[in-house]
Amino acid sequence: MMFLATFHWGWLVGAVLLGFAMGWIAVVHRGQGVSKTTARWLSLLVAVLIAVALAHLVPGRFGYWLDLGLMLFAAYLVGCAVGSWLRDWVVSRHVAA
Amino acid sequence: MHGLFRWSSKWWPGLIPLAILWIVAAWTSTAPLEADLAARSNASLKDTILDKRRIEVDGRDVTFSADAFSEDGRRSSVASVEATPGVRLVHDETRLVPEAKPFVWSAERDVVRLTLGGSTPLPASKNRLTEAARAALGGVEVVDRMGLARGAPPRFDAAALLLIDQVGKLKDGKITISDTSVSLSGMARELGGREAIAAALKNLPEGFSVAANEVKAPPYVFQANKDPVAVTLTLTGYVPDNSVHAALATTAGRKFFNEKVVDNLKASVGAAPGFANAVTRALGALSRLSTGSLVVSDREVRLSGDALYDAAAGQIRGLARELPQGWTAKVEISVKPAAAPVDATVCQQLFSELLGKGKIRFEAGRATIDPDSAGLLDRLVEIAQRCPGASIEIAGHTDADGEDGFNQALSEKRAQAVADYLVKAGLPADRFKAVGYGSTQPVATNDTDEGKAQNRRIDFLVR
Repeated sequence: MMFLATFHWGWLVGAVLLGFAMGWIAVVHRGQGVSKTTARWLSLLVAVLIAVALAHLVPGRFGYWLDLGLMLFAAYLVGCAVGSWLRDWVVSRHVAA
Repeated sequence: MHGLFRWSSKWWPGLIPLAILWIVAAWTSTAPLEADLAARSNASLKDTILDKRRIEVDGRDVTFSADAFSEDGRRSSVASVEATPGVRLVHDETRLVPEAKPFVWSAERDVVRLTLGGSTPLPASKNRLTEAARAALGGVEVVDRMGLARGAPPRFDAAALLLIDQVGKLKDGKITISDTSVSLSGMARELGGREAIAAALKNLPEGFSVAANEVKAPPYVFQANKDPVAVTLTLTGYVPDNSVHAALATTAGRKFFNEKVVDNLKASVGAAPGFANAVTRALGALSRLSTGSLVVSDREVRLSGDALYDAAAGQIRGLARELPQGWTAKVEISVKPAAAPVDATVCQQLFSELLGKGKIRFEAGRATIDPDSAGLLDRLVEIAQRCPGASIEIAGHTDADGEDGFNQALSEKRAQAVADYLVKAGLPADRFKAVGYGSTQPVATNDTDEGKAQNRRIDFLVR
C-alpha cells in the first residue's frame, strides 16, 4: 500500500482535491441526496470490493485497477470529509458573526 | 458527526469525475508500474544463481519462472521476489535444474575446433571452463554445448580445468568425465604429449580416477635423405636422447664419408626399443645407395633409392633380417644404370680420388671389414666395373706398431678381405691380386697417431 501511495501520489492528490471540492459544495447544496437504503447498498458494495481486493481475488491488471480505484475512492472520501467539515466551520462562524 | 452523514449523502456527484480520473490513472500508470515492478524484481534476484530466469508482470502480479540449482536457492529466490515492494502475488513457476545421472562432461578436439559438451553444475563453472579452453587453445574455436545439471561430483571444476589443459596437448581426441571416472582417447599433438598427459592425470582431484587412457602418441619419425646433387645427407626427425644423437651423427659421418651431414635431429622420448640399432643398420643400407631416402616411423623402416650394382641391391633388400626383433622393413631398391666404361688410367685416378676421401676401415687388429665401409666398397666396385679389362692390385698396409710378422699377415688378410668383397659383388676373381706390405711402405710418420692412421690403408693399383 505504501508503494502504491508513493507511486501514485499525483493521482491521489487529485482525488483528495476533487473530494475537497465536492465536500465544500455538499454543505450548502440543496439538491436531493442519496436515500438511506441506497447508501446502505453502496456501503455494502464498497465493503465487498474491499474484501475482494484484500483477498486478491481479481487477477492481473483488473486486480491492480481495483486496488487503484479503491485507493482513489478512499482519498476522495477523505477529501470530501475535510471539505465538508471546513465549509461547515466557515459557514457556522459566518452565521455566528 | 451527524452533519458528516448528512453531507455525505450529497457527495455522490463527485464520483463521476472520480471515475474519469480513475480511468485516466489506470490508462497511464499500468505500463510504467509493470516495468518498474519487473526491474525491481530482477534486481532483487541479482545475487541469486538461476538459469533461464524469466519474470513477467501483469498488473501487480509477477509470474516468475527459473531453473534453480538447489531447493534452498529456489525458495529464497521466490521469497525475494515476493518481498519486492508493490508485488501483490507471485506465480511460482520455478523448478530445480534436472539432475544428471551419470553426470557426464566432455571436451572433444578436432583439427579446427574444441567442442565442450555434457553438463556443468553452475553457469559460473560453465563460463570458467569455456574461458579456460579459450586460454589453453589460443586461436582454436571453442564451441560451448554444455548444459546445466545438478549432481556433479565434488571438485568437478578442478578436474575439468585440469583436463582442459590436457586437451591442448591433443591433436584430436575426446576427454570425458562420467561421474568421477575420466576417459581419454585420441592422438597426442607432439611426441612426449602422451607421457605428459599421463603425468598430469596423476594430479586429478581426490575422488576422480582414470577409467581409460587411450591417447596415442604420434609416429616416432626419423628421416635421412641422401642428395647426390648437393652431396648432402639430411637427417630430420627425432632421436631418443643426446648420447644416441651423438652416436648416430658419428656413424653417419663415417658411413657417408663423401657427403656433408646436415643434422636437424631433435631429442624426444617415445622411441621404440632397438631404435639406435635399427637406425644404424638402415643408415648403413642408405649409405650404399647412390641416391635414396630413409624413413623410420615407429618400428617400420622404409628405404628407397638406387643401388650401385645388382648384388648390392640384393643385399640391401635383405635389410629386414638385420633389424631388431619386431621391426619391419619396406625396401624399394632399383639399380642405377651402369656408368660408361673408362680407360685403365682413369680407373686408377678414380680409385685414388675415392680412397683419398674415405678409407676402408677394419676392426682393430683384425681383417674384418667395418660395416661403416660398405658404402665406400660399393663405390670401389662401381669403379672396377667401369674398366673391365684392367687387373687391379689390392695393396694392404699397416702402421709400424707390433711385430713385423703379424703386421705382414694382417695386411695380407685385409687386402684379401677387400678382394673377397669385390668378388662377392660379382667381379671376376682373376682381376684382383691381394698383396700385403705390412709396415714397409709408410706414407707418413709412425710417431704420431695421425701418421699411423694414414699408414693403415688399402690402396688400389691398376696394372
